Amino acid sequence: MNRSILACIAAGLLLAAGFAEASGNPGRGQELSSQVCASCHGVDGNMALAEDYPLLAGQHRDYLVVALKAYRSGDREHAVMNSFAQNLSDQDIEDLAAWFARQDGLGELSFD
Amino acid sequence: MLNRVLAALAAIVIVCSPALAQSGDPERGEVIAFTCSGCHGIPFYKNVYPSYTVPRLAGQNEGYIISALKAYRSGARKHATMQAQANTLSDQDIADIAAYFVSQAEESE
Repeated sequence: MNRSILACIAAGLLLAAGFAEASGNPGRGQELSSQVCASCHGVDGNMALAEDYPLLAGQHRDYLVVALKAYRSGDREHAVMNSFAQNLSDQDIEDLAAWFARQDGLGELSFD
Repeated sequence: MLNRVLAALAAIVIVCSPALAQSGDPERGEVIAFTCSGCHGIPFYKNVYPSYTVPRLAGQNEGYIISALKAYRSGARKHATMQAQANTLSDQDIADIAAYFVSQAEESE
């Protein structure tokens, strides 16, 4: 009995976590990206206009959120990114992060 | 049209960037980068305070890795662990690490 209650709670938490992960709307992110990000990063984040610009495709969603918020607040400094991030709402940032994280691109380092 | 021009320019930048980049030694980079594996070599490893997944680096632009490490070293970019790590790195170390990360992406393709 107790076990099945715990299992239900655990399943509920997992579901909730799944929804939290999916809080960004990648379709809207794609639209925003094509208007705001694409000229430097490519619509899918696989292009870099300058050699020291990062590729974004396949980057972790939550890292992208932290990075964009840090640019918006000024904690992370880059003249171009600070000014673009100023115009982004929390939802814009979630949507963009959801979009870029879904694209094929960056991978995990392996140190075998 | 503008998009096509930008894409063409970007392609030129990407094709030419290896020639422009500081030459790094990926074999030396592999040795120095062992420290990085503690966080960046563990898929979905979480940074604490704030909690987020440490960034994926395989396939990242060489020039971006170099500028990021130099920004951590100078303190312009803030992250306690990354600043502490970058403080121990010379320009050559940074170039070698970036070359190693890039070589990894080429292997996985």
